[in-house]
Amino acid sequence: MGEGLTLTLATEEAARCLLCFDAPCSQACPAGTDPGSFIRKLHFRNVTGAIRTIKKNNPFGWTCGVVCPTARLCELACSRTAIDKPIQIGKIQRFLVEHGWAVGFSPIKKAEIKKDKVAIIGSGPAGLTCARELALNGYDVTVFEKKEKAGGNLRYGIPTFRLSEKGLDREIEEITSLGVTVKTETPIEGKDGLTKLKEEGFKAVFLSPGLWSPVRLGIEGSDLNGVLSATDFLGAMRTHEASDVENLVRDKVVAVIGGGSVAMDAAMGAKKLGAKDVYVLYRRSYTEMPAEEKEKIQALNDGIHFFILTQPVKYSGKGSLESIVCRRTRLGDPDDSGRRRPEEIQGSEFEMPFDVAIEALATEPDTGLRELADLTWDNKTITVSDANLQTSLPWVYAGGDIVRGPALVVEAVADGKKAAEAIAQHLEGKGE
Amino acid sequence: MKDLSIDFCGVKFMNPFMLSSSPVSNCAEMIARAFDAGWGGVAYKTLATQMTKIIHPSPRLNKYNNQACRMVGLQNVEQVSDRPLEHNLKDIKWLKKNYPKHIVVASIMGFSNKEWEILAKASEDAGADMLELNFSCPHMAIEGSGSKVGQAFDLVELFTETVKKAVSIPVMAKMTPNITDMNEPAMYAKNGGADAISAINTVAAITEIGLDDLIPKPNVFGKGAVSGYSGPCVKPIALRFMAEMAQNPELGLPISGIGGIETWIDVLEFLLLGASTIQVTTGIIHYGYRIVEDMMEGLSDYMEDKGFNSVSEIVGKALPNVHHTDEFDLSRQGVAEYDLDRCIGCGQCYIICQDAGGQALSWDAENRRPVMDEDRCLSCMACSFICPVEDMIHYKEMPKGWVRHDPEPMEI
Repeated sequence: MGEGLTLTLATEEAARCLLCFDAPCSQACPAGTDPGSFIRKLHFRNVTGAIRTIKKNNPFGWTCGVVCPTARLCELACSRTAIDKPIQIGKIQRFLVEHGWAVGFSPIKKAEIKKDKVAIIGSGPAGLTCARELALNGYDVTVFEKKEKAGGNLRYGIPTFRLSEKGLDREIEEITSLGVTVKTETPIEGKDGLTKLKEEGFKAVFLSPGLWSPVRLGIEGSDLNGVLSATDFLGAMRTHEASDVENLVRDKVVAVIGGGSVAMDAAMGAKKLGAKDVYVLYRRSYTEMPAEEKEKIQALNDGIHFFILTQPVKYSGKGSLESIVCRRTRLGDPDDSGRRRPEEIQGSEFEMPFDVAIEALATEPDTGLRELADLTWDNKTITVSDANLQTSLPWVYAGGDIVRGPALVVEAVADGKKAAEAIAQHLEGKGE
Repeated sequence: MKDLSIDFCGVKFMNPFMLSSSPVSNCAEMIARAFDAGWGGVAYKTLATQMTKIIHPSPRLNKYNNQACRMVGLQNVEQVSDRPLEHNLKDIKWLKKNYPKHIVVASIMGFSNKEWEILAKASEDAGADMLELNFSCPHMAIEGSGSKVGQAFDLVELFTETVKKAVSIPVMAKMTPNITDMNEPAMYAKNGGADAISAINTVAAITEIGLDDLIPKPNVFGKGAVSGYSGPCVKPIALRFMAEMAQNPELGLPISGIGGIETWIDVLEFLLLGASTIQVTTGIIHYGYRIVEDMMEGLSDYMEDKGFNSVSEIVGKALPNVHHTDEFDLSRQGVAEYDLDRCIGCGQCYIICQDAGGQALSWDAENRRPVMDEDRCLSCMACSFICPVEDMIHYKEMPKGWVRHDPEPMEI
């Protein structure tokens, strides 16, 4: 994750800011982050005000400062880019939140909890943001989390070298300290699970369970030992199974299949756990890799080998993985994603010895979610109203990846805020 | 490299660059390194007799930062030299022996008429080329000294006269800016026999207050004080005093310019307004002696470029252009002109034109560009000062007869 800025460095960076009229950066964040304000506040030594601006808008201000792909959001909009390079908005944001922690300044005050009970399913950034906003509005919020700890993808999807556990824990603790109850290891499952919540007195539900079912390559040999999904690999790194995955990859040759951020995390994670060599196998070329540019560069600098234009077609081994048969590809015409389609070259097969294969392809909703209630789905996402994130059941709202498909933390935060407002309107509109 | 030498009160300086009397000229070891770096002369840290014990307050300095811009100003409570007089005199002797072509000006401060005489003679005997009379330190811990003398004009004359009688080397009187008109004390110094004026000493100021303990800085064990302030922030004030003295035909003395000098451009501006040597401390406290290299090179290249053959040709060259404001030609007016092809759309111009200018700009939100109504432009040019795109906004003179539109009064 690297060291953050100091007050002096942050002030110097803020001094580069052009303090734009109607700042473009402040219009570029899905979660409504207002760098135009908090950087101006820092510039004028109103440091507490800057922290307040960030934290009021986003309970995960620190997390977003660390993991947000600012280069294609606020920093892309930055006017300073036309002069030299954008202001390091993410870094300033991270610093300001950390500074608040260092000096003991906490801008968000607990509200009296005296309104209806609301249930939130899933404690990722969407769910916890919604929880905070409702709690600040006086609602009695319970967050149900299937896993051991709260945080969702922030904890089980992003490795600690990218997002420190300490910071994440602190932001979650700030939310729970506002009177939000988080029930971990409490999955809401089974047929009519939501109706049961209603019977328990919850007047509304926000569904933000995320996507936890990995899409698999499904090629021959997938059942061999040593072939696993990135979801399982990264998740295990954060649990009591951490030593198991460490034993799995230490001194081994590891293939990570895929070219997104998760693939980069898995590759760098394996390297940090002591893998001898890590290869990223990706079927298109470098520029089509969906990972952020800085993540790709970081992976390359970590010594990860990129095998582009490479399609795995078969895992081989006796009981455990021993090698992967791949085929070379070349790029054809663009597909629906706008990226050029990989076409396998017949007769180009080659076999590489590997001990471990981590598939980092995509994730889908857990199948059990469809049982919870009779909601309208659009293929792999829950259908909601764009205006208020309401599902086909008026007392059930949904947001985050379950609605958008794989999305950014800031987008999850945006959904949490939007849902909280809509739920409050819904409940208050009823005069309850 | 051009010949940068200049004659100052009959003393030949190899270049006009001097260390001023301060911590940067505290002893021979330091000054030798400064000479090696290129400085042509030094006003040696102010000598005092040992009849009064000198103890420096601790801590001595405080910075004045403007946002991320460090040390645009510096406040100090430094006193005159606390070294034994004989050590200082020995150092001056050593310097003159080892650096015979460099100019050593002994800065002195007496606490009585007799002390001024003693210090002047001792300095001359040690080999000092000139004297500088410190009438101007604004924070002497000894009552009735420093700028207290500089503000009591008859004492300026008296002590100058005493010194002049005691020595044959040229004498320069150093002025405090903590007065209204510097020509007054300068004339007293002249009447006392001064051969030159040096200005400005530090400006009495408070730079910063501790927000927790409410104590001004430097916080000397629970106490702050009004004391001397220097650095780039005081340069414009120093230049004003240069011009006012250099334009005074009655004064007619050479001036050693001091105040916030860091670059060759600063040096040049002092020269253009009548200084013929310049002195530096705060710039050295910020960056070290090395800055003189850029002063020499920059000044030399400027002279080459503009066809000056000696530094003395530059001295006072801008003085004919410094007028009273009532001499301006008000019939000529203009506006700010924008090269919008280069605009990056930050909109700072729009904000300040709305809040501090003539509301000549409106904002095209879709294209993120200012839209100019020339008839409302005050030609304050503030927009051009904050525009981040270099030279994007220019001054344009309007045709004779063009009339600016004033804002309409509100309907009641």
